[in-house]
Amino acid sequence: MSNLILEGIRLKKTYQLGRASVPVLRDASLQVHEGEWVTILGSSGSGKSTALHLLGGLDRPDKIDGGSVLFKGESIWEQTNRRINQYRNSDIGFVFQFYHLLPELTVLENTVLPAMIGGFGNAAEKSRTRGTQLLEQFGLGHRLSHRPRELSGGERQRVAIARALINEPSVLLADEPTGNLDEATGNEILDVLSSLHVEGLTIVLVTHNLDIARRGDSVVHLRHGQIDHPANLAHSGGIAPNQAT
Amino acid sequence: MHNTATAPLYDAHLVYQLLLTTKYLTSRVIPLIAVLAVALCVALVIVVVSVMSGFLHMVQSSGRTLMGDVIVTYGISGLPHYDELIAQLEENSNVLAATPIVDGWGLLRMPYPESEAKQSETVQVWGIEPISFAKVTSYDSSLQWKTPTENQRDWLLLDVITENQELLRDEMQDDDWNELVEVANSASSALNYEDVGLWTAVQQIMSDEQWSRTLALDERLGNPDAILAQGLTLMQNGRDGIVSGLHVSEGNERQKDGTYKVVRHDYWWLPRFDGTLTMLPVDSEGGVIEPESVILPFVNEFQSGVFMIDESRIFVPIHTAQKLLHLDEAQIVDEDDPTEIVGVDPAKATSILIRGVAGLSADELEIIVENIYDQFIAGMPFDTTVMPPSRSNPGLTIHTWEEQQRSFTGPVEKERELMRTLFSIVYLVVAALILSIFWSIVYEKTRDIGILRSIGASRGSIVWIFLQYSLVIGVLGSALGLLVGWLITKNINEIHDAMGNPPLGMAIAAFAIAGGITILTIAKSRGGQMLPIVLGILGFATFAGIGALVLFIKSIGGLVIWDASVYYFSIIPNNVDWPSSIVTAFGAILFCLIGAVIPAAKAADTDPVKALRHE
Repeated sequence: MSNLILEGIRLKKTYQLGRASVPVLRDASLQVHEGEWVTILGSSGSGKSTALHLLGGLDRPDKIDGGSVLFKGESIWEQTNRRINQYRNSDIGFVFQFYHLLPELTVLENTVLPAMIGGFGNAAEKSRTRGTQLLEQFGLGHRLSHRPRELSGGERQRVAIARALINEPSVLLADEPTGNLDEATGNEILDVLSSLHVEGLTIVLVTHNLDIARRGDSVVHLRHGQIDHPANLAHSGGIAPNQAT
Repeated sequence: MHNTATAPLYDAHLVYQLLLTTKYLTSRVIPLIAVLAVALCVALVIVVVSVMSGFLHMVQSSGRTLMGDVIVTYGISGLPHYDELIAQLEENSNVLAATPIVDGWGLLRMPYPESEAKQSETVQVWGIEPISFAKVTSYDSSLQWKTPTENQRDWLLLDVITENQELLRDEMQDDDWNELVEVANSASSALNYEDVGLWTAVQQIMSDEQWSRTLALDERLGNPDAILAQGLTLMQNGRDGIVSGLHVSEGNERQKDGTYKVVRHDYWWLPRFDGTLTMLPVDSEGGVIEPESVILPFVNEFQSGVFMIDESRIFVPIHTAQKLLHLDEAQIVDEDDPTEIVGVDPAKATSILIRGVAGLSADELEIIVENIYDQFIAGMPFDTTVMPPSRSNPGLTIHTWEEQQRSFTGPVEKERELMRTLFSIVYLVVAALILSIFWSIVYEKTRDIGILRSIGASRGSIVWIFLQYSLVIGVLGSALGLLVGWLITKNINEIHDAMGNPPLGMAIAAFAIAGGITILTIAKSRGGQMLPIVLGILGFATFAGIGALVLFIKSIGGLVIWDASVYYFSIIPNNVDWPSSIVTAFGAILFCLIGAVIPAAKAADTDPVKALRHE
C-alpha cells in the first residue's frame, strides 16, 4: 500500500436541531492512500456528506472528543485559519452535488478562481492557461466565456471538477457529483473522474449508488454515522471493504 | 508536510477581489438600484436641509438688512430730541449710521378697483429719512422699479396726455390734435393687453418742441432713472410720496422666473396712481385723536423678500408720518389759558435704527448704544421741557435686531427646533434604508460566500470584497445624490412653479405612456403570466395618475405649494448648504460600508457548509 495521505480518526459530528442534538457521525474512521479511489457509500442521512465535509475542511468535528482529520500527518483542525484556508484552496479539491459555481463569473473565471484566491493571480497567465487546458480536456473549450446558467448540468459539473483541479490538489473530494444528473450524463462525469484516477489522482467520492461505488478501489459503508462492519456489507453487494482501523 | 516555501502568497488577494467586486457590480441590476436609492436619500436630505437652513438664514439676515443692528424704541409716544441722540451716536467711531423711524398703523386707500368703492389695505407705516435710512438698511437695493419698461413709459405718457388735454390742445394744430386723440384713444384700450408703441406714435405727431414740453410734464418720461431717484428721496415732482411693499398692491403678480408682472399689462402699475393714507394719532395719555388723512403719490415699490413685510409695510417721509401721528413739533400751551405758549414739544421718533461698522457684533454695538444713550440723557439741559425717557423707563427698549425680531421669528425658531428633530428622523430613516438594502444584498450572497470560503477564501478577503462593493455604490450614489440635490435645490423655484402649473403636454405624454403600457401589457399577458400583468397595471396606474393629477391641477387653476403668505418669503431659498451636504454624502458612504460589512462578516464567519446550504 502506498503512502497514507488523508485520514479521519474517530470523527464525531453532532448537529443541533432546535433543542435536540442529532448525532450525524459517531466515531467514524477511514483512511485514504495516495492514488486510491475511496467511495463512501451510504443512504441519505447516514452522515456520508458530513464525513466528506470534515475531511475537506469545510466543517468542524465536534469540539469535545470530535476526532481529527490528518492530511499527510498534519491535524487540519488544529491549524490556524490561514492554514485551513490554504488546505481548502490547494491541498484538496472539492466537487459538490449542486456544482456551486458563481453565477456572475464566466466558466474560465470560475475555474481559475481558486488559483487567484491562492495568490497565483500574479501568475495570471499561467493559471489561465492551465484552466483553459483543463476545460478543453473536459470538452468545454468552446464554453470559456459562457456563464454557468448557459450550461447544462453535466457541463457545469465538469467546470466544477476543473475548478477543483486548478491548484493541482493532492486529493479530490466529490460529494454525490452525479446526484443531480441523469444517468448518461452522470456516467460521463464518472468517466472523467476515472480517467483522472488513472492518471494518478486520489479521489474520495460520496454516493448512495452501489453501481457508482463499484468504480472505486475501495468502499467505506456508512450507516447511522458509523462505519458498517464488513459482514453487513456482504448484503449490499460484496464489495471489498476499506482496510480501515 | 506542506512545504511552506512553495506556499501560495495569501496576501496577493487583490486580483480576485477586484474581479468579484467588479462582477457583482456589473452583472446585476441590484447595485444600480442601490446606487439610485443612496442617491435619492442623499439628494432628499440635501434638498430638505438646504431649503430649511436657507430659510432660517433668510429670516435672520432679512432682519438685519431691514432694521440695522441695534434698535432704540420708545413706544407710541415717541422719543423727543432724537436728532441730538443720532448726532451723538454718529460721533462714535463704532457707529456707521443711525436713522429715525416713526412707526404706526394706517389705512391705505388703493387706486383699484376702477369703481368709486376703492379697496383699502391695513398698512404698517414707517416714516423714514430716506437718505440716512438707506445707510442703515439696504433700502436702496430693495426698490423694485429701477427704470420703467417701454410699456410702463407708454402708460405714463398716456396719463400725461390725458391729464394735460387742454394744454396740449391749445398748443397743437387741429389735425395733429385729432390724430393724437385717435392714437391716445386706441392706445387707452389696446394698452391693456399689448405693447402699442405709443411713445414713437406720439413723438411723430408732435413737433420737437411740443414733444420735449410734454416729456417735461412728468420727470419720469424724460429721465429713465427718475423713478429710482424718486423712490430714494420719497419725492415726486415736489410732492411727498409713498414707497409701498410689493405685495401691498394686488396688481403685482409674481412670475415663474421670480420677476413681477403688473396685471392688465401694467395698467395697475402703482407709480401711476395716488393713494390716500389715514392714520390714527394717539395723544400723550393714550387717547385717540381725530384720524388724519393725506393723499400721496406712489413713487416706487420695494421688495424686502420677507412676505409679511412686503404685504403690509409702506414708507413715507418721516415728517408726513409725524404729522399724521401728531408727533411733529408743537407748541405747548397753558392748560388754563390756551393762548399762552409755555414751551415747544419737539418732534419725536418712535425708533432709531443703528448700524455698526463692519466686524462689530450686534451685541457689542448694543452696549455701546446703551452707554451713548445714558450720556445723551445725562447731557440734557436741566430745563428741558420734554425730557426723553431714561433707560429705567420700561417703555424704552434698546435691542439688537435679533431680540427685536424675536416676536416675529419666534414661530420660526420653534419651527427650527421641529425641523432639527425631523432632520434627525430623516437621517435615521435614510441610514436604516441604506443598511437594509445592503443587508439584503449581502444576505442574498451568503451561498456565494460559502463557495468562496470552501475554495479557500479568507474571512478578511470576503469582508473586503463587500467593503469595496459598498464603497463603490456609496461613492457613486453620494456623488449622484450631491448632483441631483444640487440641481433640485438650485432650480427649486422653477420646479415648484412647474409643479404648481404643469404643462398640458405632460398630461398628454403621461396618458400616451399609460396607453402604450396598456397595449404592451395586453400583448404580453396572453401567456397568462402574472408579472407582466402586475407591472402593467402598476405602470398604467402611475402614468394615468400623473396625467389625471396634471389635469386636476390645471382644472383648479394651478397649485401653490410654497405659499408666500405662509412662509414669509416670496421665493424658496435655493442655496445648497454645502457643509451639511458633504457630511450627508460621507454619512451615506459610511452607512453603505456599515450596512455591507456587518452581514458580510457574519456570513464570512459561518462555516462554509452552513453558508452553502443557504438558499
